Amino acid sequence: MGVTANVVSKLEELPSASSIAITTSVNSYFDVLRAIVDVFATRHDLYVFYVTSTIPSKNIENLFGLLGIDSSRVFFVDTISHLMKEASTTNDRYLYIESPTMLEYIMLKVEYLARKYNDKKALVILDSVNSMSIYNGPKIMSEFLHILVTSLRSWDAYMTIIAMKEQNTEEIHSMLNMVCDEIYDAEEGE
Amino acid sequence: MADNSRARCKTGIAGLDNILNGGIPRGNTILITGSCGTGKTTMSLEFLVHGALMGERSMYISVTEAPEKLVENMITYEFFDKKLIDDKKLIFVDLQEIYVKLGLEKLEFTLEDVNILVEQIVKMVKELGVRRLVIDSITSICYRLTSKEEIREFILHLGKELSDMGCTTILISELLPSAQGYSQYGVEEAIADGIILMGNLERRGDLLRTIQVIKMRGTTHSRAKYVLDLTSIGVLIAPLLKGGSVEAR
Repeated sequence: MGVTANVVSKLEELPSASSIAITTSVNSYFDVLRAIVDVFATRHDLYVFYVTSTIPSKNIENLFGLLGIDSSRVFFVDTISHLMKEASTTNDRYLYIESPTMLEYIMLKVEYLARKYNDKKALVILDSVNSMSIYNGPKIMSEFLHILVTSLRSWDAYMTIIAMKEQNTEEIHSMLNMVCDEIYDAEEGE
Repeated sequence: MADNSRARCKTGIAGLDNILNGGIPRGNTILITGSCGTGKTTMSLEFLVHGALMGERSMYISVTEAPEKLVENMITYEFFDKKLIDDKKLIFVDLQEIYVKLGLEKLEFTLEDVNILVEQIVKMVKELGVRRLVIDSITSICYRLTSKEEIREFILHLGKELSDMGCTTILISELLPSAQGYSQYGVEEAIADGIILMGNLERRGDLLRTIQVIKMRGTTHSRAKYVLDLTSIGVLIAPLLKGGSVEAR
């Protein structure tokens, strides 16, 4: 199976309110996003709350457009555009946070979306744990992920954390192991 | 175990009601204190709107800001319904107009003036059947009182009368960022049944809005510091993550 099929198949196995870390190489990154956003979320009619600290939200949306991925159900919590001086007017589709270090505001923006758009279940993507770890120490990151994952369970939402293989460390792996139900290698299919 | 010794006045702010173990004990007079821009007025207005939506008549006494301007700001909130004002479930009072009506247009109040003012507020609460009251700000009123004894008399007298009527009251207190303690005159904090401190916390160059319940008579409550966000669906509250932080009230 290809990467997209692997990831979709894995996600299909999960009960809602699950948390999964998906490890991927840069080469398969967009296949993973396609699996989550285009296939799985569409099939299950889920809202996607996309927390980005890697690529500005407008760029991701443009890339989705180029790849033919429907992003109409995607709401971005963008922690990077302010730093890049690319943040434009905030609205529910694009919620900007000044810096990836303002972890509490990530939780609050996700809660805001979960409360406001509660007519469907949601899937939260954290992209990526590696870029978040550039700005935050392991202790506060673990605490943040633990609270976020736990609170999302109460919203019955899926949580997917993207971890880039090229940037993974033992510390990040241990942290994901501690906070997620599963760690899944998108390329190996295991 | 549920803390059900006192009836609760639910603020309607989910995170805060959790912190307070179900809400503010009914009839309490509490101080919401903090420096400017920390969300005191916004949170108090939300408390009143939720009360009005639950059928409790709610009143906002403004000392410094025109009620029209406050209403204009509230239109941005999705939970706000202008009909609440039309139906007089939510009432705005401009204290300057009360001063004129009572002949209290002076810079300093005597003890007699203080009593006249308290009686007027109590009369409005009684006649209109107000269950939730916000005075924004108590600091501006206390500014006209000449001694700590007068401030003590004013808050004690007002608090007792309102509590006897089952009215839950929020007194907004303005603090300078550099202030020590929880109130401008040091008296308000000792008399109030509860203190909610709102502030700014600096962490590695980020400024976070915070909220902390310092005391609340009649209930167990969390004393931890939380981060809050002012959104169009109301105030949202999340736990403050532990990390090296520097207070910047």
